[in-house]
Amino acid sequence: MASSWCWSCLSRLRVTPTPRAILPPQSITPRVASASFHSSAVQYANPTKKKGALVTQKYRQGQTLRRKKKKTTERARPPAVGERKALRKRIVLSNPNALEVEGMQDLSAETMVDSRLRGSVLGLPLPMLDQLRAVQAFKPKQGWSIFRRPGTVLRRDTLEMGRLFEKISGEGSAPEKGKVVKKILTGLKGSGKTVHLLQAMAMGFLKKWVVISVPDARELVSGETSYTPLEGTSPLQYVQPNAVSALLTRTVEANRAVLSSLRVSQTHKALPGLKPSSTLEDLAKLGFQDVAIAWPAFQALWTELTATAAAPGMEKDFVPRPPMVVTVDGLAHWMKESAYRASDYSPIHAHDLVFVKHFLSLLQNGQASLKNGGMVLYATSTSNNPAIYTFEVALEQLAARQAGISPSSPDYPSPEAYSGADERVLELFKPTTGKEPQFELQTLGGLTRDEARGYMEYFARSGLLREEVNETWVGEKWSLSGGGIIGELEKLGRHVRSTAQPVPVSV
Amino acid sequence: MPPTTTLLTATRAAALFRPPFAASYTQRSVALPLRSRKHAGPIQKRWNSSPVHKKPLSPDEQKFPTQDQLPHVNEEASAMDRILQKEKTCDGQPSSPELEQGSPVEDILKRDKEGLKHMPKVMQDQLKKKPAGSSRSFSTSSRSRQQDMETIGSQDDISAAVLADMIKQVNDEANYQLPEGLKFDMPMLPSEKKTLNFRKRYDSMQDQFTKMLMQDGKLARAQKNMSIILDHLRTSSPPNINPRRPLMGGPPAPQLPLDPVRYLTCIIDSKGIAGGGTAVQIPHPLTLRQRRRAAIKWILDASEKRRDAQLANRVANELVAVAEGRSGVWDRRDQQHKIGISGRANLGLAPRRR
Repeated sequence: MASSWCWSCLSRLRVTPTPRAILPPQSITPRVASASFHSSAVQYANPTKKKGALVTQKYRQGQTLRRKKKKTTERARPPAVGERKALRKRIVLSNPNALEVEGMQDLSAETMVDSRLRGSVLGLPLPMLDQLRAVQAFKPKQGWSIFRRPGTVLRRDTLEMGRLFEKISGEGSAPEKGKVVKKILTGLKGSGKTVHLLQAMAMGFLKKWVVISVPDARELVSGETSYTPLEGTSPLQYVQPNAVSALLTRTVEANRAVLSSLRVSQTHKALPGLKPSSTLEDLAKLGFQDVAIAWPAFQALWTELTATAAAPGMEKDFVPRPPMVVTVDGLAHWMKESAYRASDYSPIHAHDLVFVKHFLSLLQNGQASLKNGGMVLYATSTSNNPAIYTFEVALEQLAARQAGISPSSPDYPSPEAYSGADERVLELFKPTTGKEPQFELQTLGGLTRDEARGYMEYFARSGLLREEVNETWVGEKWSLSGGGIIGELEKLGRHVRSTAQPVPVSV
Repeated sequence: MPPTTTLLTATRAAALFRPPFAASYTQRSVALPLRSRKHAGPIQKRWNSSPVHKKPLSPDEQKFPTQDQLPHVNEEASAMDRILQKEKTCDGQPSSPELEQGSPVEDILKRDKEGLKHMPKVMQDQLKKKPAGSSRSFSTSSRSRQQDMETIGSQDDISAAVLADMIKQVNDEANYQLPEGLKFDMPMLPSEKKTLNFRKRYDSMQDQFTKMLMQDGKLARAQKNMSIILDHLRTSSPPNINPRRPLMGGPPAPQLPLDPVRYLTCIIDSKGIAGGGTAVQIPHPLTLRQRRRAAIKWILDASEKRRDAQLANRVANELVAVAEGRSGVWDRRDQQHKIGISGRANLGLAPRRR
């Protein structure tokens, strides 16, 4: 059996040259004259007394080792207000280090419908970049910053859209001239919905259309901008003057060339300051110079842009109005109650915001509203997206109608009982009646293998990808990206697999 | 009541304690761990016993706890099985290693000049392959000491391995024939193919840097920061390299941004210290990973003094500063080198560490 004494204690019992541990120090017990237990001489030096205060053992004081904590570096001052956000929202469109891709063509009226170029990356024309920036078509984190200049893939959906643009513009006498195409874009995350909108805007600029864009639908319902009730409406509706003003600013900035060539052709009672000879640019400027009349100015601009003929007495300078592209990104935010409150503190539905309602109504009466034709593209978003049951059902209904299922059929999707479905949303997505064309659901999928190959070659030729791009490799990446989802392909393309070798260091 | 322990289990238990007879036979046998454990574990001493006058092993002979681990259960079982079942002599008894061992062909050939002429062509080729004196037997570059020790301790193993390799080649050539019904070689099944599927997602240096960048165990966030850093290196203008502090290896400076991982590796490896100082000031070479760790740590420490808002930007700017030779990290490296060089005087004083 082991002894209860540990061996170190036992070893201390042995006669050692310095038996200090057992004998009490002199300072505490005074030396007694009697003989000590040991026969040997006591050999210990007098403990050195500290001058001044007596060193006493305090009770209730930690005996553990205390180390000073590492001081955090005090930076002189935190970054300035808004610096972090500016960094987050910064959009960089060029990387001077990346190689210029040889033989890269620009997006133009000819190339956008050229099916031979399918799968290649077309650069956005440099003068157009300012316009696209003005309508906020670029989003941060889309990866424009690693290439020499921004470019987009010409995929199947893009080519189809290009042809639609050509038909609606009506070179010659196409039967589709002046038609309105209304589409809701959906698709998986990273499938290119926002870039599809960007391509639509770019084509609109190329065709000299008027481009009106709501870059983020959330901003109109999240309670960030001011709102006031609109008088004389029942049920009460609300207008957001600052948001309207911002939209007018963007529109003027982007479409200056078109708007300055068109003159006012109608009488606008709400805008007494408007001269008959002024251009549409001046009209829009009224709106963002005075926020109070932003909404009437927007309405006036809309009337002007959709006019087919001048009012009597003002025919002198009338020029036929161009078609319009209207894009909205993040549609789901408009299908729920907004963050705004009414005077009785009940939440305001997004459809009661007059500005939102204006855009949504284009789904039902787009042809009636846009008399000169145009394209209405509303995209859903998958980042920062609210989950709205009724909206999902409505999109399913839309898809079912497109598949040929009649609304009276039992297979037609309908919201579940007691699910609290939003009637207003369902109403919005009802099939249109009369001459009004139906709106469509367009689901963006992945790229085909050939398109994916063209896209990956673009990475390689920009000097960003150090791999041999062949069928096998592209096939592998195509599968890894969930069947050519372009956002995932982009991640794979920019993922650096360096062949870096360790540098030997000699001693 | 009958006794619960049977004779059978008792014998089986006894068998476990029997010393394995193959101890001197094979390196990777079940016997090895027992032997090494005897040396490695804390030695039970008795106070009244006489002191042990055992000569301590030289560093090259010592075994480290991680060097030879216990084999896996399966390995052990298969080794046991091989000893007991497979290697039987003709009379059906398990063979003993002594019986199995013969004198190697090489030894015979050394003695027999006539046999040397007529030995198989493969062996002649093997001899021709490494003419003596053509290469140094030692290396001038620093490597991990672990590998050195393995090579020193197993000179005999190498010659044995060469021999085994030759024999295997001869056998394969002799025995090779196409399976029945095949005109050409057997097609390779996908499962047999050596694919590149087993590979790391990130470069090893990038991985190390990312993990050192990690705060509070948030790896995904560190990876995001790493990608910001790489993008910064990719988009910032190429470094104006200070000729006094050049980057080691890698392509010329204008090409660096296009391969950000390479760029980063160059920065880190240029900073890596070759000699580490300890309290006794005896410099010893660090391994590649240790070297990089020191460099990364210095860079991260220096980046803390920067004023940029984001961590990733601070680090990225510091990296560019290092590449251009502006950073204070270089001074730190030079200082470390001075210490290391002055410490070389102490190299002879102390025995080799470990």
